[in-house]
Parts: sequence; C-alpha cells; structure tokens
Amino acid sequence: MTAPAIRISGLKKNFGASEIIRGVDLDIHRGERHAIIGPNGAGKSTLFHLISARLPVTAGAIELKGENVIGLKPFEINRKGLSRSFQITNIFHNLSVFENLRCAVLWSLGYRYSFWHRLAGLADARLRAEAVMEDIGLANRRDTPAGILSYAEQRALEIGITIASGADVILLDEPTAGMSRSETDDAVALIRRVTEGKTLVMVEHDMGVVFGLADRISVLVYGQIIATDAPAAIRCNAAVQEAYLGTSMNVGNEHE
Amino acid sequence: MSLLNGITYGLLLFMLSSGLTLIFSMMGILNFAHASFYMLGAYFAYQISTWIGFWPGLLVAPLMVGVVGAAVERYGLRRAHRFGHVAELLFTFGLAFLVEEIVHLIWGKVAVDYRIPVELDGTLFTLFDTSFPIYKGFMMLISVGMLVALYMLLTRTRIGLIIQAALTKPDMVEALGHNVPRIFMLVFGGGTALAGLAGVIGGNAFVTEPGMAAAVGSIVFVVVVVGGLGSLGGAFVASLLIGCIQTFSIALTISITDVFAVIGVTLPEGSQVARLTITQLAPVLPYLLMVGILIFRPRGLMGARES
Amino acid sequence: MNSHVSDAVFRRGRLLLWGGFLALAFALPLAFKSGFLVSLLCQIGIMVVFALSYNMLLGQTGLLSFGHAVYYGMGAFITMHMLNIIGKDGSPLTTALLPLVGGLAGMLAGVVLGYVTTKKAGTTFAMISLGIGELVAACALMFPGFFGGEGGVSGNRVVGKGDLLGFTWGPQVEMYGLIVAWAFLATVAMFALTQTPLGRMANAVRDNPERAEFVGYDTQRVRYLMLILSGFFAGVAGSLTAINYEIVTSETLNAHTSGVVLLMTFVGGIGFFYGPIIGAILITVMQIVVGGMTHAWLLYFGLFFLFMVLMAPGGIASVIAIQRNLWMAGLFGRMVPHYLAVALPVLVLLAGLVGLIEMSYALLAGEGVGAGDTATKVMKMELHLNTPGPWLAAVGVTAVGMALTRWIGGRTRAAWNAALSTLHGDKA
Repeated sequence: MTAPAIRISGLKKNFGASEIIRGVDLDIHRGERHAIIGPNGAGKSTLFHLISARLPVTAGAIELKGENVIGLKPFEINRKGLSRSFQITNIFHNLSVFENLRCAVLWSLGYRYSFWHRLAGLADARLRAEAVMEDIGLANRRDTPAGILSYAEQRALEIGITIASGADVILLDEPTAGMSRSETDDAVALIRRVTEGKTLVMVEHDMGVVFGLADRISVLVYGQIIATDAPAAIRCNAAVQEAYLGTSMNVGNEHE
Repeated sequence: MSLLNGITYGLLLFMLSSGLTLIFSMMGILNFAHASFYMLGAYFAYQISTWIGFWPGLLVAPLMVGVVGAAVERYGLRRAHRFGHVAELLFTFGLAFLVEEIVHLIWGKVAVDYRIPVELDGTLFTLFDTSFPIYKGFMMLISVGMLVALYMLLTRTRIGLIIQAALTKPDMVEALGHNVPRIFMLVFGGGTALAGLAGVIGGNAFVTEPGMAAAVGSIVFVVVVVGGLGSLGGAFVASLLIGCIQTFSIALTISITDVFAVIGVTLPEGSQVARLTITQLAPVLPYLLMVGILIFRPRGLMGARES
Repeated sequence: MNSHVSDAVFRRGRLLLWGGFLALAFALPLAFKSGFLVSLLCQIGIMVVFALSYNMLLGQTGLLSFGHAVYYGMGAFITMHMLNIIGKDGSPLTTALLPLVGGLAGMLAGVVLGYVTTKKAGTTFAMISLGIGELVAACALMFPGFFGGEGGVSGNRVVGKGDLLGFTWGPQVEMYGLIVAWAFLATVAMFALTQTPLGRMANAVRDNPERAEFVGYDTQRVRYLMLILSGFFAGVAGSLTAINYEIVTSETLNAHTSGVVLLMTFVGGIGFFYGPIIGAILITVMQIVVGGMTHAWLLYFGLFFLFMVLMAPGGIASVIAIQRNLWMAGLFGRMVPHYLAVALPVLVLLAGLVGLIEMSYALLAGEGVGAGDTATKVMKMELHLNTPGPWLAAVGVTAVGMALTRWIGGRTRAAWNAALSTLHGDKA
C-alpha cells in the first residue's frame, strides 16, 4: 500500500501564547481533490504554511508521500513534488507572464543554477511554459509584465506558476478569492483541468467551488479538524452545521 | 580607567545608534546619513562656540540639526519613499555624500579648532597614575541624562507609546503607517537631533573634521547589526561592548604571537600576522565581531526580527 | 511562432549593435589622435566593466552593496603582485592574460566574503556589505606588505622582451586596445549571463524571494552565486586598472570607490542591461571634464545624484526607454515643444545655482583649494565677492529660474502625464 500524499499527525502551531493549530490529524489520499473549509481565523492558511514550511512547526509530524518533511526548507519541499499558491498573489512582478512560468519550470527540468545554458536554447522549458500559458489562458499576454495584469489574470498566473513545475501535490490557497461569478467558473474549470491526475488540497470559502470540485472535505474550526468526509456527508454533518451557523461557537472574528 | 573611557565612548555610540534604531524601527529606513548629522552637530556647535560660546551651542546645535533632519524627512525622504526602500537608502547615501561636500565648502577640508570649554578642561580625578579628564565625566553626564530623558519620553508620553508599539509590533504601525507622517517627521528630527547632540559633545573630545562622519558611521552600523536591527536594548549593549573593545584594544600592546604563546602555540617568526599587536588590530575588531555575530547569531545579540 | 521570427531579427539587430560599439571604440582614438582622449577612454572602459559587474548585484539580483570595491581592489592588488612576480621573465602575452587572474582573485574574494554577506538580502545585506568593505579596507592598512601601505604597490606593465604580434602594451594606445578587448569580452559575458537560468532566477529572487523558494530555488544560493560571478567581473575591472595605471593604492578597495560605482550604476539605470554603461561613460566624463573646471565638482555630483533619486529613480536608461516608447507610439513629437519649453527655465535656474555655488566656493573654501579666481574664470567675469551685487544677481537669477521652472514645469508635467496615460492606455 502506498503512503498517503500528505499525512499530518498531532500538528500544533503556537504564535506566542495563542494556539492557532491545536492538534490536527489528516490524511490526504493520492489523487484526490481535497478541500479545507472553515470559518475565518480557523487556521486554514496557517495549516498550508506549515505543510509548505513557510512557518516552522511547533509540534507534530508531517509526511509527504511517506517521507518526513519537518525541518526542511520550502525549496526542499518543493523539490519533493509539493507546490503551492498563495492567498495574496505572489508572482514575479517585473517579469513577463512567459518568464514567470519559465522560472517555475527551470528547477524541475534540472537546469538548477546553470549559467552555461542559454535560456533561448532550452526548448523543453519554453514548450512547457507555453503549454501552461495556453492552459491558463494567458497566451495573448505572453510578454506583459506580470505586475500590470488584471487581478483575475494574476490569479490565473498564480495557479499557472504553482502547477508548471509538474508537482504532483498541489496546494491552492483560496484560488477564487475576490473573483466575479464568471471568473470563478473559469477558474474552477482551469483547476479541474490542470490538476487532473494530481493530488489537490485547497482552502476555499466559495461553497459552490468546494462542493463542485472536492472529492472529500475537511472542516477546520478553531485549529482542529471536526470532520473529514465526502461532500454529501459533510453537508448533513451536525457538528459542521453547528460550526457554520454559529449556534454554540462564534470563532469567526477572533483571528486574522 | 580604560573601562571608564570605553563606557564614555560606548554611551556616545549609543546616542547615535539609538536614533538610528528608532528611525529604522518606525520608518523602515536605514539612515545612511545618520553620522552626517553627528558631524553637522559638531560643526554647528563649533560655529556657535566661536560666536557666543560652548554652552548655548550645547542646546542650540542639536535643535538646529533636528530641524535640518525634519526638513530632510519632509522634503526628501517622503518623496523617495514612494519609490521603495532602495530609493530611500540611496537618498540617505547621497545625502551623506552631499553633507560632506557642504562641510568641505563651508569649513574647509582640514579639522577645525573646536575646543573643550575651559571650565571643563582639567582632571577630574587620578587613578593608577592615569588622569580622568573632567570633560569625559561631563560627556557621561550628558549621555546618561539623555538616556533618562529618552526613557521617560518613551514610557511616559503618548508619542513614546506609539514609538514603542512600533518597536515591538512593526506591522501594527505599518497598518497605521501612512496616517502618521508627522510622527515620522518628529522621530526623524528627534533621532537626528540626538546624533547632533552626540556630535556637540563628541566633536571636541575627539576631532571635528570632514572625515568624522565616515569614521563613526560604519561603526554605528556595526553596533546596530551586532545589537540586532530594531532593538534598542541590543543597541545599548552593543554600543558599550564595542566602545570598550575599541578603547581596551588601543591600550593593549601585546602581539598576536604573545596571545598564542599564552595558549601554548608558537607562530612562525616573521609572518606579518604574528607581528601585529592588538592595538594595530583595533580598527578591525568591531567588524570581526560583526562577522562573528552574523555567522553564529544572525539575529544579533538581542534582535527579534530575522531580517 | 511569431515570437521566433522577431527573436531572430532582434538577434541580428543586437549583433549589429555590439559590432557597432566595438568598431566605434576602436575608431575613436584613431580619429582623434589625442592622448587625453585615449586616457579618458581607458578609464571609461574599465568603469563600464566595473559598473556592469555591480549591476549584476543591484539591478539583477536586488542586492544593494556598499562594498563592491573589495572585489575590484583584490583583482587589482593580485594583478599588480603577479605583474611584479613575472617581471623580467614574463611576456606581453602573460600581461594580456592577467585580467583573468584578477578576475579569479575577485571571484575568490566573493567565495569567501559572499558566504557571509549573502546570508541576508535587503537592508541587512547592505549593512553587512558595508561592514565587510570597511573590514577589508582596515586590513589594507594593517598589512603594508601586501597592500603597500600609504604608497600602494606599483609595477611596470611592459614585462620581458619581445612583443605579442607587435604589442608590448607600453604605449597608452596599445593599452587601450587591451582594455577594449577585455571590456568587450566581459560585457558580452555579462550580457550572456542575463540570458541563462541563473541570470533569470536572480531576477526572480529580486522580484519575489518567497515565490522563488516555492518554485524550488534556494534564494541564498542564487545570491551567493551571483555575488561570486559579479566578483569575477569586478576583479577583471580592477586588474585592468592595475595594468593601466601601474599603481594600486588602498584607495581602490575603500568605501569611496564602492560609493562611486554605486552612483554610476544607479544614475545610468539599474533596470536595463545598458544602463550602467551609460552611467559609467557619463560619470567618468563628468568627473574628468567638470572636475577639471571646478573644485565644486563633487557637490554638483551629489546634487545630481539626489535629483536622480527623487525625479528619475530608474536612471537615464529608463528615461531613454520611455522616450523610445513614446516615439514608437507616435507621441514623441507631441512632447518635443514641452521639453524645449521647460529647458529654458531649467537653464536659468542652473545658471543661478552654479553662480551661487561657485561664488560660495571662491569665498569660503579658502586657501589651498585654488579659490579666489575660480568663479571669475568659470563665468568669464570679474566679480567682487565682497560686494552684494553679484550675490543679489545670482540669488535673483536662481529665484526667477525656480519660479519659471515651477510654472512651466507644471505644464510639462501635465503634458507628460497625459502622454504616459495615452501610452499605457494603448497597451492595455
């Protein structure tokens, strides 16, 4: 039996005295699309930051495809096949769309820190970057500096950079935040297309997106996972409804 | 005796590094021209002392420097701020360059005769055959007085509380950030005035010349790095530490060979390193300390922030 | 595949450009047989390499260094010692290859010092580079055996007997040929570097280090490698200085030299590959020409620099690039009258300021600076600085210039903004 794509056990994260992640156990199966939902401040983004090593873990274990990744640097985890996007757009602003994507594929194609290859001569990097550019619908913006793209275009580029390297575990942090209805629909189609055959974990607030895309859903409330199940089961889970309707707890505005 | 001298020098360094730290913490600007304001303080005080004497200068010169500093913030930095941190840093760098040239223009390229006032000229006490001059005592008095005043300002006033908040929670104040340009101007003016005061009392104790800014400037940067960027306490400890290292090492005339002999290692005769004395090493010690700190404790002695 | 065609055309254009520059560089001293010009061109060639190597850090990797002279100086000192070691037994060929040795020395310095400095980026890097620069400069005074103390180390670039294809490097013109050859090679190499994976990732690290980490790159490693390579080219430049002037003093690796290269690069424009070339040419010419006319040269330089920081932070290259974009969009013609209109009051303002500065210098700078006659010479007038007349005139001219500049400058700015918004409107 193969190890899960991601296995999190007993994960904790404190900021000073406040506990943000209070013991999370979660298995992400290979090849599934997994959504993490929960009220604001539940710690969803923090959980992503811990998995991708943007923040150091306080306690607990994280395994990526059966391998312990605690203590690794972000670039080391990335090289093991985990790639992520950010809630706040995180792209190379002064580089063109094409260059953004080419930067994202260089390492995985093995060019490392080479100063003896000519970029223009690297057909594989160019083709892969162009393919992704086509995929995310930015082919007509090839030479535009990323910094002056529209918001939706930047979000698409953010996803493009994340998937370009061919990582098989993809973390998307609120990919559709701030988008209009039609932009969201495009983004969902895009995500569905580009994560085909890969493991996807996403944080998302838009329930339409979540229930449309996810194979399984985990609900994170106040630093703990209260339920992990198929969408239909989550919809009628009493604890989840309680958390969302706020009948007993009102954690919505405490953090962030 | 060296200890007293070291503390005096360290306190002087702290007057500079505290202003630099405050400005850095509040505004995120590393003021490259900070030591230039120190130099301006010394020259203003010199000019005033030739007209009306030392004592009025002690008060007026720092105020003048502070006004110049505030003007620089208002009409220069605020504009450079729009282009980002590199532009700000380059602006202060260019300013340091310009101040030196203006000093050349007005006061010439050689040291001016900025003297210790006669009332303070003399020996305070003698210990082990070395005399401790009154003026050093006066410098300590002023520095400690300023320290107390700064402490009171930071803990007892509203502006002080905001500044303190900025030190511990830079993001919070960043959120307020652009709504408080006046506080920025005050902090910059205040920080530069502190540097000016240090110049007034340091200029005559050492030497008042156009090269003084460059000489002190890099040491102050070392202090801030060693203490930890943005940490007032760290700046204080590092100032004293480096002040003492500087004065002690100048007083020591043993060579590297002697040092190694103590631990039982004999260096080959005649190599240049072996013949160096600690005194000769004095100018590089602070930098060596800085490099050591960076390798073993990148945050600095008391720094909380990573970068 | 459209992009391929344009790529090829671009490449042919680029080849023409490179070739043109090389031809111009060789033609200039032949056209004007002036010793002064050749010396000036030698200095320019060296500074171009130095400034380009600096921009590998500042413009391409986003590292603001205050200690770049260290690598330049190491290249220079090692070269000078090598020159003295090979001495009589050497040949012109070995002399011609010395810049490679200098480059390796700079690179080695980068390997050692860069390990410490590139742990950090941003402001911290700037401070550390300053500290390291000071450390090395202080060491230079501590080890007179290697650094030559106050007097520096000198040598003779004509070594051994015979020649290399007729060159001994003795005459300044031959030296110039050597400098052009090395400068050209170094420039091509540095440009090529911008077109490699490392070069591009340096840009990525500059723009967004966090994202660079999340596409698999160790940003610290990228910075370190760029610093080492930049050290190499700085070492080549330093080596050329050593061979050219046949003397190296501790001045070559102190903070002043680091400052000058920073100013050159920034004024030229850090966002474009050719920016530092413009900066190096302009500042070197100004240094020698304006520096020969007035003692206040450094003051003008400082003012010019601050003006650039506040008004055109992209440097001269960015100003040129904007004009080119305007030209392409057919908007340039519209701006010309505005440029001409604003030029007049600016000239008036400058005349007033220069008058004030020169008179102050003449009056205040005192003995030893050649004061007294400077102002009168520059302005071709006999001025009595102890009377209020010339001062009032200068202040008046300055005030009028300032008022006019504000008035007309406001209109120019409005026209400028309008042109820019049309330009960007076209793009979007």
